[in-house]
Amino acid sequence: MELLVSTIVNGLSIGSIYAMIALGYTMVYGIAKMLNFAHGDVIMVGAYAIYVFLAYVNPLFAILLAVVFCLLLGVTIEKVAYRPLRGASPLAVLITAIGVSYLLQSLAQIVFGSASKMVMVYDFGAIKLFGVTLQVSTLVTLAVAVVVMIALTLFVKLTRTGRAMIAVSEDKGAAQLMGINVNKIITITFAIGSSLAALAGLFYLLKAPSVSSTLGAMPGIKAFTAAVIGGIGSIPGAMLGGLLLGFVECIATKITVIAPYTDAIEFSILIVILLVRPTGFLGKKRREKV
Amino acid sequence: MRNFKFLSLILAVVLCAVAFVSCGEANYAAENTEYVIGVSGPLTGPAAVYGVAVQNSAQMAVDEINAAGGLNGTMFKFVATDDMHDPTKVATNYASMYEGGMQVSLGTVTTAPGLEYKNLSKDDNVFFLTPSASGDDIPGGGNGFQMCFADGNQGKVAAAFVNENCKEEAVGVFYKSDDPYSKGIYDQFAANLDETIKTTVTTFTAANETDFSTQIDTLKNCTFIFMPTYYDPASIFMTQAKDILAADAVYYGCDGFDGIDSKEGFDINAIPQKVSMLSHFNSKAEEGMAAEFIAKYVEKYGKDTLNQFGASAYDCVYAIYYAMEKAIADGKEIPVTISASDLCDILKDMFANGYELEEGVTGENIKWESNGYVNKAAIQYVIKDAGLPEAEAEVEAEAEVVAE
Amino acid sequence: MKSLKRINYSHYINYVVIAVFTMVFSAISLAGGRLDSSLLFLFEKMAISIILAVSLSVVVGFLGELSLGHAGFMCVGAYMGGKLSVVLEPVLGNAVPNLLISLVAGGIVAAICGFIIGMPALRLRGDYLAIVTLAFGEIVRSIFLNSSDETFGGTLGLDTPRFDKKYLFIFAFLMVLLTLLIVQNFIRSKHGRAVTAIRDNEIAARACGINVTKYKLLAFIISAFFAGIAGVLYSFSNYTVQSASFDYNYSIEILVMVVLGGMGNINGAIVSATLITFLNTKLATVLTGDLAVLQNLIYALILIVIVIYNNAPALKSFRDTHNISLFIKKLVRSKHDPASIKDDAAKWDVVPTKIEMNEILSIDMKPQNLGSDKPSKGGDK
Repeated sequence: MELLVSTIVNGLSIGSIYAMIALGYTMVYGIAKMLNFAHGDVIMVGAYAIYVFLAYVNPLFAILLAVVFCLLLGVTIEKVAYRPLRGASPLAVLITAIGVSYLLQSLAQIVFGSASKMVMVYDFGAIKLFGVTLQVSTLVTLAVAVVVMIALTLFVKLTRTGRAMIAVSEDKGAAQLMGINVNKIITITFAIGSSLAALAGLFYLLKAPSVSSTLGAMPGIKAFTAAVIGGIGSIPGAMLGGLLLGFVECIATKITVIAPYTDAIEFSILIVILLVRPTGFLGKKRREKV
Repeated sequence: MRNFKFLSLILAVVLCAVAFVSCGEANYAAENTEYVIGVSGPLTGPAAVYGVAVQNSAQMAVDEINAAGGLNGTMFKFVATDDMHDPTKVATNYASMYEGGMQVSLGTVTTAPGLEYKNLSKDDNVFFLTPSASGDDIPGGGNGFQMCFADGNQGKVAAAFVNENCKEEAVGVFYKSDDPYSKGIYDQFAANLDETIKTTVTTFTAANETDFSTQIDTLKNCTFIFMPTYYDPASIFMTQAKDILAADAVYYGCDGFDGIDSKEGFDINAIPQKVSMLSHFNSKAEEGMAAEFIAKYVEKYGKDTLNQFGASAYDCVYAIYYAMEKAIADGKEIPVTISASDLCDILKDMFANGYELEEGVTGENIKWESNGYVNKAAIQYVIKDAGLPEAEAEVEAEAEVVAE
Repeated sequence: MKSLKRINYSHYINYVVIAVFTMVFSAISLAGGRLDSSLLFLFEKMAISIILAVSLSVVVGFLGELSLGHAGFMCVGAYMGGKLSVVLEPVLGNAVPNLLISLVAGGIVAAICGFIIGMPALRLRGDYLAIVTLAFGEIVRSIFLNSSDETFGGTLGLDTPRFDKKYLFIFAFLMVLLTLLIVQNFIRSKHGRAVTAIRDNEIAARACGINVTKYKLLAFIISAFFAGIAGVLYSFSNYTVQSASFDYNYSIEILVMVVLGGMGNINGAIVSATLITFLNTKLATVLTGDLAVLQNLIYALILIVIVIYNNAPALKSFRDTHNISLFIKKLVRSKHDPASIKDDAAKWDVVPTKIEMNEILSIDMKPQNLGSDKPSKGGDK
């Protein structure tokens, strides 16, 4: 019983943060159809922004300012590095995204130095559950992730802008013909994706309160994995994929013998899932037609 | 037309090639006007804090030496190149420094590139005294020496400590399975532990440094936790575990722990558990060279990057400087244009045969074994009220470790 | 008739350049001239990068699948070839036979991995395949990282014999020539045309009777084989093989070389691999000490600017009037020369590629596109 509870609790703890990051990832992918390799680094910027603003204002305002900052950053990146390549090969955009990722990391090191910094945003404390300690921040992360997931789904399904987003993701050309301003929609997508990255940065700090210039790299890859498992482009899928990845990581870490292979196991499971379901759990299966 | 183009192509390549060929025996230092010391370390990337610490401290030592008139009037110059903690980058760095006139070096900052560096420098017979590449295999080429304790020896000392003091404790181990430093210490620790002591072992990898809830859950009943990792993951672990582990539990680390109490924003007093480590540098020293070093460093570069890597690099520069001074006093000639190989012959002879750095930031009477390991006192530093006997454990550099 | 039989020199110019380059420097090296180590290291790195870029361009440029795991194949080659050379060293010494046997063995093991990873490629498309290749690279790395000290050296890596640096670059460039020979001939054969047909439209290719399974696997196997060879060369040019070096960042660096060189353009891949290796080396040696942090910054800026210049649709007219080949032509030919007219047939393999990430490919099959396409002769009868 305790083992089961602890697995669930720890799996949720790891998975909730992956889910949170994957939501932003999948949002951008779903609409703009591009792998945003710089997403992890926007998370890093968000975490640094919180660190900077915390020195001046109270935590809530700091978070708000960080979200706004990342939103502006995301929109700027999109304008400068991605928009000129609209219509070019998707691989070209992939490379500029990588360039942006390197750029943000270097800038962060130049501005904040090489040493990592502890940032205590807020301590929610912990509760005991069947003898297993559960960090309240995990529950908060999970709750926010669920709220964000629902809000995004509703936004995309119900609002005018949201439906325009779906149209753009289906077919940019046709959307344009229907009078949708494709550039504006994609800018909005990046704005949403980057603000989600700032939130992810916040929850990252609540979990592991340490920020450095390379903070975003690995979680970015993990979130990409999670998003693909869930079916990239699918909002509930990102949530599902993130949590699943968390459970796998938790179980693998618990067994000492296989613990060093944790990464290999996570990626193997990804491959197996994709072989069974080539578009992930909730990914849309598109029929190819001639 | 085509023939002409073809010929001009060949001609161009030949001309280029001729420009690259140099003649005569190599002494790249022949034009030097200062002694050149070089190091390759991670100045960017995840391990940058260590490389930057070494760069700053070595530069500080070199500036001090130069301000005091250098070596009989000849100044020193220090070069740091960036290897990003990646072994593929080190050959380029080494070659550019060597051909740029480097005569003596501090090797690499970290172990992984160091394994490449030791062979490159051995080919050209370049002396290195590494401040912090602690892998057991780093010295041993004859031209390489360590200022830090080798990983295996740290593991042995830690095991000896646990064998003696923790018979009644529930011992846990938390290490990074894909890091040579962490795994190197753990392997020797496990090999030298009494069979009667049962340990709970849990690991993490570079990809999973965010959330240690599973590891903490595994170790929740332990009262003594051995953590041969760097301070960064350790500080995250402690923060996440502070309400879960017993309040009187003890974290016990090796020299990688160093810097944990100076990490910005991390209040070690907010951690109820006790923290202790085995190191050669006391970042809280209030007297002696260590205190002077800390004061100077913090004034110049801030508290952020103050750690034992830097302290060790500072000692390395002085060890080399005093050795050169002593060699000259003994009648050896060390002109400013001495080749790296000639200087290496002088230095390795001295270091292998009882040369001693009398006073350093990381210890007193520092000597080296002929196989390159350092021989100095390792001190059990209590960072935060560990309630353990403040025993000074002598680290014996053991020859058989090299043989393996 | 005569004009048909004329050899198209532009097809062979890359062999000539590399061969001349290799011959001149080998002559110097063999005659006992002293080349600086930094130059020799640079040559080795360039050769390895060229092999990697050319081999990756088979999958990315010609097959049109995104691979983020090329360093994984290289890792397999480096470890397997390196291990074999350690085993063979007592028998054959650290000499040419050892090098050749290890090269072949490392290449073959990597090719087997290429076959294995080519399997999911049959079922997966676009980004889903990309993450599978990325996952493969990380899995390989993790396995070697956690090997025991006796087998592959674990976290400390495998100690491998280093081939004499005076001569290794000669073999490395010979391997470049071999790679070019096989890859270019493959691409220019009917098999290569079948591969590009799959890239341009898989369904149409299938309808034309091309054995898609066979050609997809073949492209992956060839690509992996040469990545493995690059890995073995890496193990001979270093004293240790450490799995940490072969992470996804390395795969991405190779991908950058291919994309900057122009998709499906082998000469472009060679040039960009050479330049990027040179740039990285120069940045590392010039920006030392406090300036080191600028390395990535400058690299990133160059990357973004070049990619936008090369690909942005809005800059097309600017590109047409300001580009290097035009500049060189102005220098070389002052007057109008009929030979400077673009020969489209000679450049048939420079087609804009299409990795439409998970999108419907139906647009490509508009009637006017279809009309000009001749059915490929590749594939099974």
